[in-house]
Amino acid sequence: MKQYPVAVRLASAAGAVVVLAMAAYVGWAREPRTFRLPPPLQAGLNDIKLMASGIGGAPPEAFFAMGKPYEAGSFELSQGKRLYSWFGCAACHGDGQGGKGPSFIDGWWLYGPGLVSIVASIRDGRPHGMPAFRDKMTADEIWQLAGYIKSLGAYSAHLSAPGRNDDKSPIPAENRAPAEILFDPGPTPHHPDQGPTP
Amino acid sequence: MTKDDPILTPRDTDIADAELHARLMRTWTSPPGLWAAIATVDHKVIARRYIATAFVFLILGGILALAMRLQLSRPEARYISPDRYNQIFTMHGTNMMFLFAVPVMEAMAVYLVPLMVGTRNIAFPRLNAFSYWMFLGGGLLLWLSFALDTAPDVGWFAYVPLSGPEYGPGKRADLWAQMITFTEIAALAVAVEIVVTVFKQRAPGMSLDRVPVLVWAMLVMAFLVIFAMPAIMFASSTLILDRLVGTQFYNPAKGGDALLWQHLFWFFGHPEVYIIFLPAVGMVSTILPTFVRRPLFGYMLLVGALIATGILSFGLWVHHMFVTGLPRVGESFFTASSMAIALPAGAQIFCWLATIWAGKPVFRVPFLFVLGFIVTFVLGGLTGVMVASLPFDTQVHDTYFVVAHFHYVLVGGAVFPLLGAVYYWFPKMTGRMMSERLGKLSFWLIFAGFHLTFFPMHILGLIGMPRRIYTYQPELPWAGLNLFVSLSSLVLAAGFLVFFIDVVRSRRSGLPAGRNPWGASTLEWATASPPPAYNFAHIPVVFSREPLWDEKDALPVTSGLRTDRRELLVTSLAAAIPQARESVPEDSLWPFFAALATSAMLIGSIFTPWAVVWGAFPMAVTLIGWFWPKGTKEEMS
Repeated sequence: MKQYPVAVRLASAAGAVVVLAMAAYVGWAREPRTFRLPPPLQAGLNDIKLMASGIGGAPPEAFFAMGKPYEAGSFELSQGKRLYSWFGCAACHGDGQGGKGPSFIDGWWLYGPGLVSIVASIRDGRPHGMPAFRDKMTADEIWQLAGYIKSLGAYSAHLSAPGRNDDKSPIPAENRAPAEILFDPGPTPHHPDQGPTP
Repeated sequence: MTKDDPILTPRDTDIADAELHARLMRTWTSPPGLWAAIATVDHKVIARRYIATAFVFLILGGILALAMRLQLSRPEARYISPDRYNQIFTMHGTNMMFLFAVPVMEAMAVYLVPLMVGTRNIAFPRLNAFSYWMFLGGGLLLWLSFALDTAPDVGWFAYVPLSGPEYGPGKRADLWAQMITFTEIAALAVAVEIVVTVFKQRAPGMSLDRVPVLVWAMLVMAFLVIFAMPAIMFASSTLILDRLVGTQFYNPAKGGDALLWQHLFWFFGHPEVYIIFLPAVGMVSTILPTFVRRPLFGYMLLVGALIATGILSFGLWVHHMFVTGLPRVGESFFTASSMAIALPAGAQIFCWLATIWAGKPVFRVPFLFVLGFIVTFVLGGLTGVMVASLPFDTQVHDTYFVVAHFHYVLVGGAVFPLLGAVYYWFPKMTGRMMSERLGKLSFWLIFAGFHLTFFPMHILGLIGMPRRIYTYQPELPWAGLNLFVSLSSLVLAAGFLVFFIDVVRSRRSGLPAGRNPWGASTLEWATASPPPAYNFAHIPVVFSREPLWDEKDALPVTSGLRTDRRELLVTSLAAAIPQARESVPEDSLWPFFAALATSAMLIGSIFTPWAVVWGAFPMAVTLIGWFWPKGTKEEMS
């Protein structure tokens, strides 16, 4: 094998180390798991611009500043899943298929499928029984839970969707897109031209 | 036999040594160039790569250990976040066990076994090349995941339910599970090669009672790999199935069993300790006679102890699970069996002591490492007997006492002999001696640094410091000892630094070593240093356990192998009576492509189960290429 001079070999070794260190830094800064959000970001996440009707709206600046973590971050989604059971969502919504409250996986969203709508529903409550959680959960918890609920209703599972729980859950795990399997075309579609499939 | 007529085919009989060398070099050497370097199937080249890669992983794992010691050096330190700390201790354990300890021991076997049994290449040399590429792929996968902040954070044992679908978000645990699959494929491949090489390719006359102890140790290790690794492959595959496609293997609510994971993991994990330790026993038993100038005391006893340890090692896995609430009978049985393994270990220690006692020791660096091994390993063995007893283990489980114990047995029992082995066989591998002065310096730094670092951990454990914590409060009485441990770890690191400086320096400008610089007795010293591509110009014939001591003038050799193609001698299992000349595979790129296809399939299967289906096609193509008939008839005679 060809022998390169010592200086060349040392320089290439140093170069490799620098490149690796930079790669590690870029990687580490990519999607850090934050266990406690700084207060300014907490406040910022509450700053959603709702329509006058309160149905939906625009996400806050903080959401974009953080890199939109709540829709696809695996850690945030799995935290959302745990919050779902910790805050008793299942009492009305069951395992996601609904009960006293509406289902999340039949393809129908009363206030639209947007993340901000879901956040508003959890934070401010909705008529006919949905309580407001703004005094019970922190802002980032509400976003984590909303992200999880949105992913629950997705027709194709995201790579970062959580797996099954260690319990007797009757629906397929979130990473197997239960909404695609359990889609409910409804009794009479209002717009038959849209078709019955998701 | 007309085709193989010695008159028509060139044989190694009746030609001068220089001419024979030239002909064999033409047949056995790989051409220069990058692709040829990838295609090579020479066991020495692959083993050197394996060893170098494993030592790179040792350095990386050592840096992680220093990072942990920095974080723990004072209470409430904020150098490393808890999330990254979890990744770091998981990476440290996983890296040291799966990417350093097991591969480096197997790599030493890949280098030494064919030379010590007097053959020209390892059995299944292309599988050997495939094994290295798989190992490299697994290592890159783990370390790239660390660079991307998706490294496993579930401990090197990855207990469910923490690693399961409910509590292990993201792809971290999946990456761990597939990294396991990579390294286990590599390990199983090497194990099969070692078994076949030892059983069928020994030099004529090397009956089972003349096999060097190192070769025996590697043989037992290979069988341990073959029996233990399938358990962990099953475990990691079912874990990834649970996480990805929603199977219920570890879900108690649907008839699965969380404890099943621990049984499967430790059914592999305990023999794993001996997979690392037995080769070290072999190294010690080989180095020792050379430096006390007499044959090993109690060869039969030692080999018997090796085999007994290998068998017993499958009967003690439950002592890792004493606090899981198993039935009393089970706990008593595994307490007894855990203590029973101290018997063969004790027999080995006494054989070595007797060998030293009866010999005239020469205190060179490899011998110092052997002495360091004996002292350290005996200390670790004593705490091993302590934690083998259920009542004591219940008290110290998951404390730093256990951390101290297993570092004493793993570093003391495997790394010390390994460093000694590097000093001992470095001249054979490179043709140059390592420095005696730097070697002594690095030995004393490592020996002192090791004990100063790990002995206080026993005390830390006894005063209640738990494992895997990322920080502790200032009110707890651990700060002083932790700072001491962290400072001592710098001494240990300095020792390794000196060692690596010595390796790099000696590789370039060490004193030239002859064939047999230590005056050793085993066959690998009968050929040039470094050995030529064909290992031995003539396959030696063995009449005793110490061929180079008993045949001082000239080693008896065989002849009659062909020189125009790669051939070696197949002998019978027990008595090593020559049975056949067998042709050996040539260099090939297919193992590399097969490893690439397998890697793509395994990495894809982290994300979608369909990768197993679609990934099978490229794998099938590469395997068809690998096993495509050669055109020339396979001939044996």
